[in-house]
Amino acid sequence: MKKRRGHIRENLSAFSASLLAATIATHADKAAAQPYDSVDDNYGPGVAYSQFDNALLVYKEAGGRVTAIEPASDLSVHGASGQQLSLGFVFDSISGATPNGAVPSNLAQTFLTPLKAVGSTTTVTTASGGSTVIQLPPSPGQIAAAALGRQYIVPPNVLPMDRGFRDRRWAFTFGWSQPVGRISELGFGGGYSTERDYRAISANVHAAQNFNSDNTTISFALNTEFDSSFPYGGIPTPLTEMNAQWKSPTSRDKTQIGFVLGLTEVMTRHWLMQLNYSFDTQDGYQNDPYRVISVVDPVSGTPTSNLYENRPGHRLTQSLYWDNKIDYGPTVTEFSLRYFTDSWGISSKTAELSERIHLGRKLYIEPNVRWYQQSAANFYHYFLVGAAPLPTYATSDTRLGQFTGITYGGKIGFNVTGNTELYVRGQYYQQTGNGHPANAVGQLRQQDLFAGTNATFGMIGLTWDFH
Amino acid sequence: MKKTNRFAIVFVCAAACSACASLGPKPWDKDLMARHEMQVDPYPLQTAADEHVYFSKEASSGGRGFAGGGCGCN
Repeated sequence: MKKRRGHIRENLSAFSASLLAATIATHADKAAAQPYDSVDDNYGPGVAYSQFDNALLVYKEAGGRVTAIEPASDLSVHGASGQQLSLGFVFDSISGATPNGAVPSNLAQTFLTPLKAVGSTTTVTTASGGSTVIQLPPSPGQIAAAALGRQYIVPPNVLPMDRGFRDRRWAFTFGWSQPVGRISELGFGGGYSTERDYRAISANVHAAQNFNSDNTTISFALNTEFDSSFPYGGIPTPLTEMNAQWKSPTSRDKTQIGFVLGLTEVMTRHWLMQLNYSFDTQDGYQNDPYRVISVVDPVSGTPTSNLYENRPGHRLTQSLYWDNKIDYGPTVTEFSLRYFTDSWGISSKTAELSERIHLGRKLYIEPNVRWYQQSAANFYHYFLVGAAPLPTYATSDTRLGQFTGITYGGKIGFNVTGNTELYVRGQYYQQTGNGHPANAVGQLRQQDLFAGTNATFGMIGLTWDFH
Repeated sequence: MKKTNRFAIVFVCAAACSACASLGPKPWDKDLMARHEMQVDPYPLQTAADEHVYFSKEASSGGRGFAGGGCGCN
């Protein structure tokens, strides 16, 4: 009897470790999985299993803006001794219109932007949303056929958008971790992402230590990333007039390094809590090379020119993230808060709540809501006024402005077999902000200057677990 | 003043650690923690998709994991 009780206790201890994110799994005693009252209760440290996920994300913005289709796969192999191998793949196909940063005007506006050189695979044509290819005066040594630009005309009182936006991205990630000596977990990983005008390479190392009967885990993860931006048309000189000429240099880099310090605590039988502090620095080219900011007449408010934006080359960010999961059998509540701040003057607050409701052993529904609010960067301007001196840094990118974002959504999951789950998820995301700033002049008072996004995105996924 | 602050931080950390030591269920009470939905990130593709969407539309990133998005969408 004593031996049997010890065996049960040993097996149960396999589930006792606090649980970190997929890349930061924990380690505990070796034990076999124990069935509970449902088919999906044999996860966690000490259990050998693999999880193969496949999903398709479809993202669509209102007003004919960006549409994206993103298939993704992820394979995680967990060994009984705490080893974990993860491999991931994502493909993005993105197209549609995106605001170019200029303000609307009561007059039609014409924009000129570079076109990729002859021989390229660029497919921007008159059919791609109102753009036309134009002939430019060739540069010295350049053949005339290569000196092409792209022009698009925005009607009066319409938010200027570039409808020639199209890109594809492939991304790969990998990770490995295992217990080493007295350290519960040591691991490393990396990622590679490439698209037509951007490339990112990242690497990370992490360590985690369990104690307090594996109820507490402290983790530390270090990440570095090296990005290269090589936009169509080259790198524009900041705060110069938008034009269709190719520019030099053709690429600029950015280096990023950061860490995440985490505490995961099994608070009670029902409650799992996680607290993370993140620190990150980014140095290098951080401008959006396609984005401009309008310079307007100080009286009429009519745009007189469009200048390429400029952002500081250094950015330091910090965030504090607190997540809670509470399982009461038929329901699982997840509630998280995040506070974010950076050296650009932006601070944000995020709150997320989801409620997973089990409808029997095979089906669940999960409504969710997310609230997000950010302040503006200290170099954010809706527009620049012609009579005033130019600032050192300026952007009109709404993503760096003040706004509130709310997401409503839901998910339905169906346990197809004992180890296969099919889920469908839909989300509606809406940004709201001030479209009528106090410093608007002339015709700008009649315009909505907030270029925020309304988007709908859905996901269908299949999770396959095998032990 | 700085020294006082450091002591305060050390004290808070020590208090938090000692508090953790008395927290948590016994091993035989961790059945719920073994369920798939109670893993910290049970649907990594869903998490990655959300973070990609919000990274491309907002100024903030990271928190749950590393900041940044590994793409040129922001």
